[in-house]
Amino acid sequence: MRCLSAKIISRSPGETERIGFNLGTFLKSSGSAKTVMLYGDLGTGKTTLVKGIASAFGIAKRDICSASFVIVAEYETSPPFYHMDLYRLERPEAVDAAGVWEYIGTGGVVVIEWAERLHGDIEDAVKVYITHLKAEEREIIIEGVNSAEFMAACEE
Amino acid sequence: MIWPVVDEALGTANVSLEAVHAVAVCHGPGLIGSLLVGCGFAKAVSYARNIPLVGVNHLEGHIFSAFLEQEKSEFPFLSLIASGGHTSLYIVRNFGQYEELGRTRDDAAGEAYDKVSKLLGLGYPGGPLIDRMARDGNAEAFDFPRAYMHESFDFSFSGLKTAVKLTAEKNAGLLGNNGFLADIAASFQSAVVDVLARKVQWAIVKTGILNVALSGGVSANSGLRKKIKEMAGENGAKVFLPSLDLCTDNAAMIASAGYHRYVSGDIAKLDLNPKAYLPL
Repeated sequence: MRCLSAKIISRSPGETERIGFNLGTFLKSSGSAKTVMLYGDLGTGKTTLVKGIASAFGIAKRDICSASFVIVAEYETSPPFYHMDLYRLERPEAVDAAGVWEYIGTGGVVVIEWAERLHGDIEDAVKVYITHLKAEEREIIIEGVNSAEFMAACEE
Repeated sequence: MIWPVVDEALGTANVSLEAVHAVAVCHGPGLIGSLLVGCGFAKAVSYARNIPLVGVNHLEGHIFSAFLEQEKSEFPFLSLIASGGHTSLYIVRNFGQYEELGRTRDDAAGEAYDKVSKLLGLGYPGGPLIDRMARDGNAEAFDFPRAYMHESFDFSFSGLKTAVKLTAEKNAGLLGNNGFLADIAASFQSAVVDVLARKVQWAIVKTGILNVALSGGVSANSGLRKKIKEMAGENGAKVFLPSLDLCTDNAAMIASAGYHRYVSGDIAKLDLNPKAYLPL
């Protein structure tokens, strides 16, 4: 079932945030996969999506901003929430040195922007690909969720 | 790697470790690896020398860096911290009394500089490079968005970054042209500086506070320094700017904030934990 995916069109940052919230809610209820790998160019709305995901775990939207500088922003929620941004880590050694792998599989929710910089895969991770279509329109593909279940959760 | 720095600092100041009464350390927010190293070292010195340990918030350090070269801090003051990791505006009524007026909802101002610099192929760190290029460019060549977000002191620089990216992509053939790059740099810088200065001006009008302190790497930007001084002049406000090498992260600002905490008896225990996310 995990090979299934959902494809959604977002027409605004507000919609991207809502899609993030739905994904967060889904992750919370599914109880299994808690790692999200995000892929998308500058300005596609990755951080906006993270605001939505985090809000499902009780984190205020304004407390989520770009994590490019700190690389890992840690929130003491239950379960703990880690917002990662690997933008600045261009070499695989830098990813290792930043201790990124230490957060994965610890039971917390891990959301990783610029996941391609990991140069590795994470078992059971949900993958989200965001593509810029035009102006405020984005295509969001979510892999690793059962599409029907996810869509049903979104409608609740 | 930290001992040589400490040795050099003590040597330059002509002070021995025996003469140090307390050790202040930044425990967040920031890069967790760096914070761990700093905290580990500070704890070891505190324990070995039997001197108090003081934990300092990185942002508190920045706030008071504007007064490192002044006789004293001028309370109350408005504090704009603009760096690679933060863009926040505070009212500072006294040491330890901070009221956040606004902060960035997405990218920090310095981060926008770095990302724009990279996508233009200029290099890192972006601040000084773009500042330099902007001097030769036309700030009105491109009408980049200014996110004033009326009714809010929050900032947003993500849309500006995206607008620059789209402009660069549309004119990919011109990216090797220095005139074009200078125009983009000048137009981008003007958008950042306009927003920062305008928000500070609103804060002056709203609070009636006439002391304005800038800090963080972006406060080294020549365009921002100029604009803030002009704006302050028009509004009858006084501006406090750190000299250039005290704008970016430095140990003096942590020591200075640490001194105030030490004097007020705010001593940390040896279980002081570094935190990547630590609101002021």
